[in-house]
Order: sequence, then structure tokens, then C-alpha cells
Amino acid sequence: MISRALDTWGAFEFFKDRTLMVRENGKKTVCLVPSGFEAMAPMHPYIMGLAIGDLKKQFVPSMAGADLFARSGNRNEFYITVNENAEKLILYGRDVMGESILEASDMLGENELVIILNSRLEAIGIGRTRFAGRSLLQKGRITVTTLMDAGYYLREEG
Amino acid sequence: MKATTAHPSRSSGFRALADNINEKRAQCSKLTRIFAESAESTDLASRYGYDRWLVGRFLEYVPNVKDFMDEMERPPTKYIRVNTLKTTSEDLESRLCSKGFDLKRTVIPEVLAVKKAPMTTGATNEYLLGHYYIQDLSSCMAVDALDVSEAQAVLDVAAAPGGKTTFMAQRMKNTGSIIALEPSEKRARSMSFNLARCGVYNTCILKIDGLHAERLQRKFDRVLLDAPCSCEGVIAKDLTRKTSHTPQDVDYCSNRQDKLIDAAARMVKPGGILVYSTCSFAPEENEMVVDTLLKKFDNIEVEPLQYGSTGLTQFGDAVFDGQLKNTCRLYPHLHDTTGFFIARLRVS
Repeated sequence: MISRALDTWGAFEFFKDRTLMVRENGKKTVCLVPSGFEAMAPMHPYIMGLAIGDLKKQFVPSMAGADLFARSGNRNEFYITVNENAEKLILYGRDVMGESILEASDMLGENELVIILNSRLEAIGIGRTRFAGRSLLQKGRITVTTLMDAGYYLREEG
Repeated sequence: MKATTAHPSRSSGFRALADNINEKRAQCSKLTRIFAESAESTDLASRYGYDRWLVGRFLEYVPNVKDFMDEMERPPTKYIRVNTLKTTSEDLESRLCSKGFDLKRTVIPEVLAVKKAPMTTGATNEYLLGHYYIQDLSSCMAVDALDVSEAQAVLDVAAAPGGKTTFMAQRMKNTGSIIALEPSEKRARSMSFNLARCGVYNTCILKIDGLHAERLQRKFDRVLLDAPCSCEGVIAKDLTRKTSHTPQDVDYCSNRQDKLIDAAARMVKPGGILVYSTCSFAPEENEMVVDTLLKKFDNIEVEPLQYGSTGLTQFGDAVFDGQLKNTCRLYPHLHDTTGFFIARLRVS
């Protein structure tokens, strides 16, 4: 499931020679760790490496994972790009209006997980589509639900 | 009044006070030194709102105390550290300047001084995306002194909230490994957010007290101990600290720091480096801690540093190993940083 997910997000090449571990603590979290860190597992670390996503019915990336996937450079149809105004709103946890989407693949279906990028192609959130294809761009409606955004770090920490 | 003996001291009339508490202090070389009040210390303490015992001590070792205390009344310069795991200094400067920030380069290449900010420094998209970390220049100097490089094994003994850890990780280009110790659940959680925001994946947080670092059963190329301290150095950020701590607090911190540095030193590989740092001005938390360590271990040398003022080689009745001049003191009025102390120790 992990390999399929990495391929889905266009990040397989980036991760192929790296070490991933699954941490089970009520949920299954996939962590990118340096090689040799497996030896730390018996010490029950609080955090090991970087949590890139959770394994549920499907792989759901974390914000940190989304950032790595976006940087891996192989952005495919599961990414949408939004304008600056939407970026500000998304970073406060707001959803995405159709008219703020600069780029979205026609091949996207309804209820798909997408990584939300700003105009500089940096990951700012993770969302789920409410419509398919060109309908994502319709004006006056929320077309993507924001599940998580980069502002989450400060809200959770605070 | 009872006179203590005679090592030359900066104030010509060093005297321990004659009551029982200070007699005990004089007998125990590690207890916090208290100096007799003078007209100057009383005046400065009253004028700036400090406890008198604290000002009396400042007069013994801080250069230009009046300038020092004036500077502590001003908001300190804010610094940001570019996270090179996600961006470059040039790109970040360009983005923030276009938003109205005025930034200035510093002696540490990744660190920028914020001369003007049109908004709270932590309110930008770039901050949320992990492009920079708000961190004082002094703190970054401690990491610079550690001289980490790629593929090394590094131990951060008192790691939270993770400013120095994330700086080490970026200098290591996310390679090698960093073991970060933090026994507090709350602080470890806060640190985990910082690591994630900065995209750090070469770090593991263990909820272990640094005093028990030997449980790791391995040694490291580099060990950083940014020790819990009385935080005198951040009075300018939190003015309640002028009166919120006591000599007993300094005693407590110093005692704990002795134990921590001992534990940390044992974790360094031969040829490796230990950096000890605090954000305190107190010699009992700084030079005395290092001096005590040097007396215990004959295979540790204090290496010189390129910034700040030299460390003290004596304080009151205490005379320290000559190598302590290689340590570094940072003062707000001289170096435009929060108060800080750094010692770089090479284990042979």
C-alpha cells in the first residue's frame, strides 16, 4: 500500500532507496527514518524520523509528507494549485473555492485526496475533491474540502 | 563583616556577609556568590528594578554595567534562521523583503537580523511552511561551535523545543542521525511539531533525562548540552526575571548542570566535540561548571571560539583553569544578542 501510495503521489523515486518504518500507536504512521534508526525502536522513541502519512483505508499523507512529495518534483494529477488569496485562507483552515484554483487535472474524480499547492508549487494543504474534472473550477462554490493545512502546526502546538 | 581569603578580585573590597547563610556559601565553593552591597549596586537595582543581589554580582564581571542594564530595557533584536532544507537565504530574503521586511545578514550565514517587520515574524506563510525558524543569534552560535557535518552521529542532551536540533539537522543536510533527549511529554510534543514543520527526518526524540544518557550505550561524534538554567540572559525578553529568581535557584541549576555535563562528556567519542551552553550570565552556571569538569577529566580541552567576549578566569574567590578564557560570553550591549555562554570542549 505504501509503494502504491508513493507512486500515486509521484514520489516513488525519491523514497526508493530510503528507509521507511511503520509505527503503530492506535494508528499506523509511516515514518521516513535515516538508515540505522531501526536499532532505536526498542527504546520506544517518542518520535522517529519524519511522519509522512497514515495508513487507513488508504494512505493519507501528513503535511510533512505532502511537502516532501511536492518537492520530489514529479507532481501528477493528484495536485491542485491555488492563487495567493486562497493560500492565505487555506493556511487558516478554510476550504477551497473553485475560482481560486489555478490548475487542476481533468482526470481528478470526486472524493479524491489531493495535495494543495501554492503558486510556487509548495505544499500548503491536503484536501478532498467535492467534484470531478472541470467542475472543480466552478465559481461561487467550495470545490475542495481542506483536510489539513500548514497552519495546523501552530494551532495544534498552541 | 568577615573577610574571605584572598584571591585577587575585581572589587577591591570583596567580603562575604557575616550571617550564617553566607558563611556556608563561603565554605562551599560551588554556591552562588553574594557580594556586599554598594551605593552603586543599590542605585542601579533601584533604578532598573532588579534584586540587589543580582546587580551586585553584575558589577563584578559585566563590562559597562550601566550600558548593559540600559540595553536590557530595550526589546532585543529579533533574528530568524533560514531553513536551508526548504529554501535559500536569497529566496527567503527576496520573499520577505517583498512583504516589507528589512533583513540584515549576520556572522552566521543562515541567520538574518530582522530590522523591520510589517507583521509578527511568526505570522508569515513562509514561517508556517518551515522556511525559517525564529531563533536568537547566540543560540545559533552554539550550533556553529559544534561544527556538525554530514553523516555524523549527534546527541542533543536537552533538546526541546528544537531550535538547535533543527539547525544541526540542516547543517547535516538531513543525513547522519541526531538523538534528541527530552523527558517532558509536553516539550517533546512541541518539539515534534517544530521538526515536522522544518522537514527534519534525521532526528529521533527519546523521552529520557540527559542524566541517564548512558542508557543509549553508544558514543557520538558531537554532543550538545544547552543546559536548563536560570535564564538570566533573557531578562530583556521577560522583565519579570529581574526579580523572579534567587541565589538558591542558581545553586540548584548549577548543581544540575554539573551532573548533566558529566553525563554528556561521557557520551563523546575520542576526538569528538561537546558544546556546553546556557542563556545565563552566572559564572556558577557557566565557567564553574566547565572548570569542575576539567578537574574531573584530564582528556578534555577547551577550544577557542571566534565570537563574543572571553570567558572569566576568576570570579570572587574562585580562580578557574586558564583554558576558561577560550569560552565565550555574549552580552546584549556588546554583541546584540541575548545573554549566552558557550564552551567548546574537545575530548581526546
